[in-house]
Order: sequence, then structure tokens, then C-alpha cells
Amino acid sequence: MNNYGWQDLELGLKHEFQAEITEKMMQNFLQNSGDNNPLHVDAAYAETRGFPNKVVYGLLTASFYSTLVGVHLPGQNCLLHGIDVSFLKPVFVGDALTISGEITFLNEAYRQAHISAQITSGQGVSVSKARIKVGVLE
Amino acid sequence: MTEILAQLQPIFQDIFDQGDLEISRGSSAETVDGWDSLAHINLVSAIEQEFSIRFALGELEAMKDVGEMIDLMELKIGKSD
Repeated sequence: MNNYGWQDLELGLKHEFQAEITEKMMQNFLQNSGDNNPLHVDAAYAETRGFPNKVVYGLLTASFYSTLVGVHLPGQNCLLHGIDVSFLKPVFVGDALTISGEITFLNEAYRQAHISAQITSGQGVSVSKARIKVGVLE
Repeated sequence: MTEILAQLQPIFQDIFDQGDLEISRGSSAETVDGWDSLAHINLVSAIEQEFSIRFALGELEAMKDVGEMIDLMELKIGKSD
């Protein structure tokens, strides 16, 4: 886990990591959220809607934004203030994702950092974008 | 001064998620619904970005209402010209 302090942060600082969506993640998300919409749990139904397989929960992929700020940028000193997410493309089980973020604004008075983040799949296709606001505790 | 107030309106409406919100110089955390500590941080960040200015913590702690914020903004915008 990274442990950036406020003084260590600067505009343009970037971090990224990789993750792969597994069937186990989908089952855990279903159990935790109770969202049993057939688009996410029934492959046959998803196919009738034009998808090759069941669609991964958007908020499951967005949970990696929590990891991005809580573990990588800034890491341990992070306190999530807000997140504005857009889902651009469907994600499927087995997809390898790259989650990346860059600091775009620093509010010195209140130690709030803004991070522009995105998730890409496969050949760099952007599947999600987010604007994240975090407080930096130290 | 009136121009800054007009420019602040959409920022406040966005931060407080109230499309019909109209602030005045006398508006403050006591009169605007939802103006809590986190909203205040987000508001300051939005103003700093929109106007390309920076506030010091001491300046922010001394502000009592939107009017005082506008007065300070005028000084900062003038200095950056």
C-alpha cells in the first residue's frame, strides 16, 4: 500500500494497476448487494439483450476506483469525498482491466485532491471514467 | 461584484444539487440547505478551479457569508490580472 502524504502529491502524479473480473467476484457482489437483475446473473437472458454473456455489475468495476485511491493514490491517507462515474462499455467475466488515475487538482486549504480516473479493457478500450475527490489525512 | 455573484450561481446550484438555488451576498451555511463541511470543501475547490485562484485556510475560516467570499475573490482576481 502506498502512503503519500499531502506534501508528496503534485499535479500529474499517476498510478495504475491491473485486475481481472472473476465469476467469484460476481457471486460475491450478488450476495452483498442483492442485485439479481438477470442481465448480471443469467447468460441466456443477457444474450437475448444482445450481449455475448452476462454483464459485469458496473459498480463492481467501479469498486476498483476505491482500490485506486485507497491503496495506490494517495493510499493509506485517503478519505474518499466523492466520485462521479460514467460507464462507457459493458464488461464481461474474464476481462483483464487496467485501472489508472492522475491528480488533476489540489485544494491546499482543505487538502482535497481531484483524480481523473479510467478503466480500460483489452486493447486499451475505455469502459469507465470517473472524477474522484479525496481528502488526504496527513 | 455583481458579475462574480452571477458566476457563482451555477457553481452553488451544482454543488448543492439545487437547480433553482439563488444565492445572495447574505447567503451562508446557516441559510443554504446542505451547506455542511464536505459541501464547503467541494464548493471551495469548484471556485478555485473556475476562477483560477487559491484560498488560504485562515481566509476561509474568517468568512461569514457569500458577500465576504466575493470581496476576497475580487482581491485575488485583481492580483492575478
